[in-house]
Amino acid sequence: MRHWMKSGLLMTSLATAALAFSATSGADDFPSEPIEIVVHTSPGGGTDTTARIVALATQAQLGTNVYVQNKKGGGGSVAMSYVKSKPADGYTVMAITPTHLFTMLRGNSPLDIDDIQGLARATDDPIIVMVRGDSRYKSIHDLIEAGRAGVIKWGGTQIGGVDHIAAMSFAKAAGMKVSFVPFDSGAEFAAALSRGDIDAAGLNISETRDQIAAGDFRPLAVMADDRMKALPDVPTLSEKGLDISFSTVRGYVVLKSTPKARQEILEKAMLKGMESDRYQNYLKGIGLDETSIEDAADWDSQIRRMYKAGQETMQDLGLAR
Amino acid sequence: MEHILTGFSILIDPMSLAVILLGTIVGVLVGALPGLSSSMAVALLLPFTIYLDPVPAISMLAALYCAGTFGGSITAILINAPGAPPAAATAFDGYPMAQRGEAGRALGMAAVASVIGGILSLIVMVLAAPALARISHSFGPPEYFALAVFGLSMLASISGKSPVKNLIGGAFGLLIATVGVDLTTGVERFTFGIPELYEGISFIPILIGLFAIAELLSQANVRDKVLERISLNAIKLPSVTDFKRVWPTILRSSGIGTFIGILPAEGSTMAAMIGYNEARRWSKNGDKFGTGEIEGIAGPEAANNAATGGSMVPTLALGIPGSATAAVILGGLQIHGIRPGAYLFENQPDLLYSIFAAMFLANVVFLVFGLVGARLFSRISLIPRTFLWPTVFALCVVGAYGVNQSMVDVMIMLIAGFAGFWLKRYGFGAAPIIMGVVLGSLVENSLAQSMIIFDHDAWRFLDRPIAIGFFLLAAFSLFYQPVFGWLRRFRRPRSAASKGAK
Repeated sequence: MRHWMKSGLLMTSLATAALAFSATSGADDFPSEPIEIVVHTSPGGGTDTTARIVALATQAQLGTNVYVQNKKGGGGSVAMSYVKSKPADGYTVMAITPTHLFTMLRGNSPLDIDDIQGLARATDDPIIVMVRGDSRYKSIHDLIEAGRAGVIKWGGTQIGGVDHIAAMSFAKAAGMKVSFVPFDSGAEFAAALSRGDIDAAGLNISETRDQIAAGDFRPLAVMADDRMKALPDVPTLSEKGLDISFSTVRGYVVLKSTPKARQEILEKAMLKGMESDRYQNYLKGIGLDETSIEDAADWDSQIRRMYKAGQETMQDLGLAR
Repeated sequence: MEHILTGFSILIDPMSLAVILLGTIVGVLVGALPGLSSSMAVALLLPFTIYLDPVPAISMLAALYCAGTFGGSITAILINAPGAPPAAATAFDGYPMAQRGEAGRALGMAAVASVIGGILSLIVMVLAAPALARISHSFGPPEYFALAVFGLSMLASISGKSPVKNLIGGAFGLLIATVGVDLTTGVERFTFGIPELYEGISFIPILIGLFAIAELLSQANVRDKVLERISLNAIKLPSVTDFKRVWPTILRSSGIGTFIGILPAEGSTMAAMIGYNEARRWSKNGDKFGTGEIEGIAGPEAANNAATGGSMVPTLALGIPGSATAAVILGGLQIHGIRPGAYLFENQPDLLYSIFAAMFLANVVFLVFGLVGARLFSRISLIPRTFLWPTVFALCVVGAYGVNQSMVDVMIMLIAGFAGFWLKRYGFGAAPIIMGVVLGSLVENSLAQSMIIFDHDAWRFLDRPIAIGFFLLAAFSLFYQPVFGWLRRFRRPRSAASKGAK
């Protein structure tokens, strides 16, 4: 930290009065410029919308502009190389999802897990193993038995995405056989599940609350450490002795070399912003609650855990580098 | 009735009215500008709708969606640069009409056909949404595969040019659609290590390149003759005889558009393609399509706007978006804590009617805007080429860049432009290529998904009645032409001969 203050002082002494503002690079004056949040998708969709609302909420805390920059492509690698090309000064924040971690594992990414540092988590939507309401699989045990005896058709998003890795990690841990059917979106495989085209799927609560309430879908187990508030009767996989925890998480990171003081300012502003009614209402709207929000330490360790878990499965599937 | 009145009462609330009008105008503008699409505009406005009440918020987004689909036709007709993918088919006949000096007639027709298509589909939406939602729910991968096969069956005949060249163009389009990570294997194809290609080639740069850039290059080959600028008809609106001629086309396309819109994930672009093709198939002047037939505008425009109302059906009734823009609107519903589904219709009918009222108003507003604007905009076609096309070029570059803020997309646009120009010289049209790109990933992914679902037993397609229906339609579509062509040759030997010569 010292040397930042020093360089700030040095520059102040050198700069003319007119340029004084540029010298205020010391942590005390951060942020003095607009902050961008880099998102790996086009506008629209969960990650982009969440980032836009977090940007509005954070902006209110920092008193500087916070905006979303869309850098689509390469499963996050376009966004990551963009972030890498920017200085580690805290003015560039990246939204990350499990997709980024899997892209790193494939060896397609300019950044590595050790290059990034978590700031805060914005959403956490655990994956829930679900079958159709009238399915003969009454419990997760039934499903596992059926998967050991035969093959379970399992729906999810693209190969190598979080749904696929989660399903395959579960199948491996439980000793099941799974035939994975990839779809373009969660809504599509939810529809396929209710039509009976597939036997099971990993879905989020935000997409399926009404179907669960109406009995169209039956949640069998949650891929998380703790039971969900919304589904108190549904066991977790870890209760069943399977250490499988996968979740549709969205959070924010900066480059690891970003000064610690600036990281803290960003973390605080984001957490405070996410406490606002606006963000809380958004969470409620998409079917989540305040447990989605997590601070830098917990979020950072979650990123690393998911990276590790993904690594093993992807190596088995021959997807990792 | 009470709910309908409550729904329409948003039209007398000044705040709601203001945001709906704003949504409509923004929609027409972003729709008209290549590269700015209505789905992007809706996504950008989404976070700000948090400040609004749910009803005006969603109404604004829905109005923007309607107007954006119409807006695309303006630039498609005037400068051969479809402002949005759904307007691609409108350019096929719209631009030749504008070149002939009938821009006003084409624009006026686009506005009227759009509004009729849009309003008919909205009526269907409120009357039958829950029932129709069931149809869309029964569409799984096998049904989509059959639908895509039906779409591909039109490839050979989609433009009046040589069927063989159409098929080659279509195959080229399908090839373009294979670029990127394959959904079912996770393998990268034709990405050449360029990360921007990982998720496939974006549609918009291809569209801008094939249409606008290719046209620009052709224009560069033509000397600006004074003769061609004498087009006093430009600001004339379509006549009553025009409407008498196109009304069956408009009705047919409204039906097609509403149906395609209702299918989840199939949006206005495919509706417009099929609407155009059916207009051509049933028209007396089918062989003149592509040279500036007015039915060639009414067909796709009625269909793509009908698809907006249609796509709201599964979005609201099932929570399954009926198009890309509807997907973003669905996000908007969720932000406001509104969960779509059958429950929405029972618990919040007011909201449904408000959305209906907003989209209805949007249609009326852009009809006025479109008709008044037609006289104004059509003057663009009177601007000498030397001034017009450099401006168009700048617009195209910005448009291609703007989608993903990516220079790779600009390169793709330029390559598509040169390819399109070259292909055109050798008699290949843009229509089949676009059709191939639109259907490429659908046909491939739905087949792969179906095969996993069917345990790799293709005969099980026969268990799916809807799929069989589309396979039969595809067969009809393939064999209709030769059989009827043969019959026609007997009846009207002269017209058949002229077709053969072309």
